[in-house]
Amino acid sequence: MQTDRWHFPVWLWYALLCIFWWGLWGFLSKIGSAAASPLQMQILFTLGMLPVAVGMLLRMRWKLDRDRGGVIYGILCGVATGLGTLGYYAALQEQNVSLVTPVTGLFPVLTVVLAFVVLHERLNKVQIGGMLLALASIVIFSI
Amino acid sequence: MHWMAYAGFAIVLWGLNGLFMKLGTNRVSAQSMVIWVTAGFVVLLPFLWSGTTLAGLSASVIFVGLIAGTVNGLGNWAVFACLEKGAKASVAIPLTALYPLWTIVLATAFLKERPTSLQWIGIALAVAGGAMLSYEPAAAVASPEEQPHCVQ
Repeated sequence: MQTDRWHFPVWLWYALLCIFWWGLWGFLSKIGSAAASPLQMQILFTLGMLPVAVGMLLRMRWKLDRDRGGVIYGILCGVATGLGTLGYYAALQEQNVSLVTPVTGLFPVLTVVLAFVVLHERLNKVQIGGMLLALASIVIFSI
Repeated sequence: MHWMAYAGFAIVLWGLNGLFMKLGTNRVSAQSMVIWVTAGFVVLLPFLWSGTTLAGLSASVIFVGLIAGTVNGLGNWAVFACLEKGAKASVAIPLTALYPLWTIVLATAFLKERPTSLQWIGIALAVAGGAMLSYEPAAAVASPEEQPHCVQ
């Protein structure tokens, strides 16, 4: 039965958990990048991800989902993130970090547009306002 | 090449990545996505290694880098689980992109860094924006089971 009472959705817990892990990643990256180059850090990040992947495989008892589309989108996620990061580093070689990072921090706009066009997702007015505030904060954090 | 071209390249790929995440989790589990995404990262390793080596890095820096990769992988799992449980890509991606908020908190606590006035404004905007992004009226919330498994 549907009630009008708002409840804390499960997905939101995972979003907060993601912010926790990625925030910690940002903190550790900050420490590591004082001595290592971006490329070296990228290599270490990739190697550091391997135990998580192995852990997931063990949890799944080696029963990995092999849906063709899912596999392609999954691999594309990794390649797109990695190549995008290289583009970011290349931009940093030509321009100051205070300009490059806020600009590249606007990438969620493209995701929102693509989700609107491809997935037909619609945001309510409160969420649209929230997205604009979030984007403003992302730009500020990047400066 | 102009820096904006490289920045644009990053925006397009990272923006597309948000879409791929949702399309992927519509088809395979969050745990499987972690594995396939890691495979995508590994594909790039030879290219990265052709440009640099890890020689000269201290053990402590290597350790920090590896742990950073591990927590990044756990973050990937969490965002996939978030999408798998029914979050819209247009909500989850901007929301999780607010992670620097937590980085600032940690840097303030452990590195004794003090947020600038501008960063305080960013923190306030992030908290307000995150709360607003998370808002969905009860009637608009559909359980994952009610949503189509495959989109597109």
